[in-house]
Amino acid sequence: MFTSTPYALYQCLPALAADTDWPRLVSGYRHMTLIRTFDKKAVNLQRTGKLGTYASCLGAEAIGTAGGMALHDDDYFVPYYRDHATQYLRGVPLHQILQYWGGDERGNAFPSDTAAARDLPNCVPIATQLPQAAGIATKAKLGREHAAVLATCGDGATSRGDFYETLNVAGVWQLPLVVVVNNNQWAISVPQHLQTASKSIAHKAEAAGIEGLRVDGNDLPALLDVLDYALDKARHGKGATLIEAVSYRLSDHTTADDASRYRKASELHAAWQREPVARLRQALVDADHWDAAREKQWLADCQQQVDAAVDTYLNQPPQAPTDMLDFLYAELPDSLKPQRAALAQQAGGRHA
Amino acid sequence: MPYFTLPDLGEGLQEAEVLEWHVKEGDTVKVDDLLLSVETAKAIVDIPAPQDGTIATLFVANGDLVHTGEPLLAFDGDEGSGSQTVVGNLQSKEDAENPDSFVVGAVSDSRPAGGTTPAIRALARHLGVNLAQIKGSGPAGSITLDDVQQHANLKHSHGDSTPLKGVARTMAKTMASAGQQVVPVSLFDQVSVSHWPQDTDITLRLIRAIVAGCRAEPAVNAWFDGESLSMRVVEKVDLGIAVDTPDGLFVPVLRDVANREPADLREGLDHLRRDVEQRKIPAKELQGATLTLSNFGTLGGRFATPVVVPPQVAIVGAGKRFVQPGIRNGELFEDTQLPVSLTFDHRALNGGQAARFLAALLADLAL
Repeated sequence: MFTSTPYALYQCLPALAADTDWPRLVSGYRHMTLIRTFDKKAVNLQRTGKLGTYASCLGAEAIGTAGGMALHDDDYFVPYYRDHATQYLRGVPLHQILQYWGGDERGNAFPSDTAAARDLPNCVPIATQLPQAAGIATKAKLGREHAAVLATCGDGATSRGDFYETLNVAGVWQLPLVVVVNNNQWAISVPQHLQTASKSIAHKAEAAGIEGLRVDGNDLPALLDVLDYALDKARHGKGATLIEAVSYRLSDHTTADDASRYRKASELHAAWQREPVARLRQALVDADHWDAAREKQWLADCQQQVDAAVDTYLNQPPQAPTDMLDFLYAELPDSLKPQRAALAQQAGGRHA
Repeated sequence: MPYFTLPDLGEGLQEAEVLEWHVKEGDTVKVDDLLLSVETAKAIVDIPAPQDGTIATLFVANGDLVHTGEPLLAFDGDEGSGSQTVVGNLQSKEDAENPDSFVVGAVSDSRPAGGTTPAIRALARHLGVNLAQIKGSGPAGSITLDDVQQHANLKHSHGDSTPLKGVARTMAKTMASAGQQVVPVSLFDQVSVSHWPQDTDITLRLIRAIVAGCRAEPAVNAWFDGESLSMRVVEKVDLGIAVDTPDGLFVPVLRDVANREPADLREGLDHLRRDVEQRKIPAKELQGATLTLSNFGTLGGRFATPVVVPPQVAIVGAGKRFVQPGIRNGELFEDTQLPVSLTFDHRALNGGQAARFLAALLADLAL
């Protein structure tokens, strides 16, 4: 059973317990490596004009992977925009993630036979997904579902009214909601110390009367412990949790940003010394659950999977212009029906 | 031959400067290998190879400015063997938003040059003239034989023209825009500074005097909007300081100069100058000046009519000190004079306001 001192940074990797679930950690490590390979390729696709503006998840692999592994199929996931690992683990194929960032509406039509079909798509406006997550959690509670809602956001989002409103209603209605804040220290170019005077982001749970936890966001087993605990608590009707996962954004904010203009190289270098993938690999190697041969083979597998996803993405048939309406509305409003009819008449449906 | 063209690297950024090629012609690259680094208005970006292949031609060199859609390089091989962005058909990017006539590399013949004939194109090729750099003098702007020959002569006797880049380019645009808007009037005067101690920090005295001028005539420290004909007098004096560097003119902003101690201002100045010299100054430190000081006298020159850059309404210029004969108690003495110029935008200020500002400024320098 997970226990921690309130607001103290919870860690596991410095001293892994004897009863560690090694197969789960190895599986998590594989996912983290795959998503890092994918992430690197996605940036390169943008740099060569084959993808739109892209938000890298470099440095957030542990947080995203832990979310995807701790969620049950009956739970709901409400992402922000750096959650490629969670989305993948929920069942969104890599090529569909690329489609989304390539501006293809079909990227958001998650496969109906996966858990992702219950999830919301990426949310680029800051923190607006959180009240929606509270709404879904309310529905789950009223429907007596044995399900939790996991919502994510960044540190910048915790300054928004939406964030506080969500925590408040989650507290007063005892919602089955878990909000994970990826505190990667930078809201685009705004550093943590200019973002909030709060002792920590987890402390913001205090006013809402819910539990606030701080966890090392570069520590997969710690994240799994905390998420298992919080999601289980939510599913059993014991209330909401705010989790601050302390990480570091190793990438630019997006491909349209250049962090070297506002961030010290020394700070970035220091952050690389505690990045999540290498740390977990070292722990697995030390415990004899991973080695160089398996690493080499797995990296090759990752590259192959990513290349296949890129191929699928680049060879999608062109989108019909009507997709922009069909993938936005469950039921098209009457006022848009003439427009849709006009779009449908365009031969071939190819962009000019 | 498959071309690789400059993609849109930011969100709608139209041009980038090539910082460095990491490959050369004849090199064989694999997909995702680093090809080159470019700088856009927002970021320095590394561009990887879009495909495997051998590089046949590089169309741009380090330092060149290139627009999205223009070719960076060509790979060996057949047309159409590349991937999505690799196109064989180069399109002109001349549009209203991008009136640049600068064309990169030796691909001019694939651009439909503005109205000319095959013979003239052949001549241009022969003479090494880039048609896209020529403004036609024929009917409907078409390029004539004479145009090409004139251009070739010019190039022969004076070499190619060099497109401005970076800071110089920004300055050219800013000054052209200022010159079109502002109605400038200049006032000149000089003040005796013989009594200043040897180690006087002249820039700090000038800043103090400007603050005194602003107290006497606050309207000089203001922003003027020529479109809506509205004026906003600013309480805080954020002083732009013109700094000359080998790369060109920078005007970093020293904040709130009216309420800072001299030592703090000196430290701030040194800091700005160092950041400028190392080209590390953040863009926001170059924005938001309410008034500008150009202390060109450290280099030379007595009086000047420096350009007011909107939305500011005035700029102060300080020249090189000089000695003239003075009379004190019937005796001649060597009197050191500091020449001061003030240019103001007559749309926003009138002569009385400018003169009052200048008088207060000089009175403070005379203290």
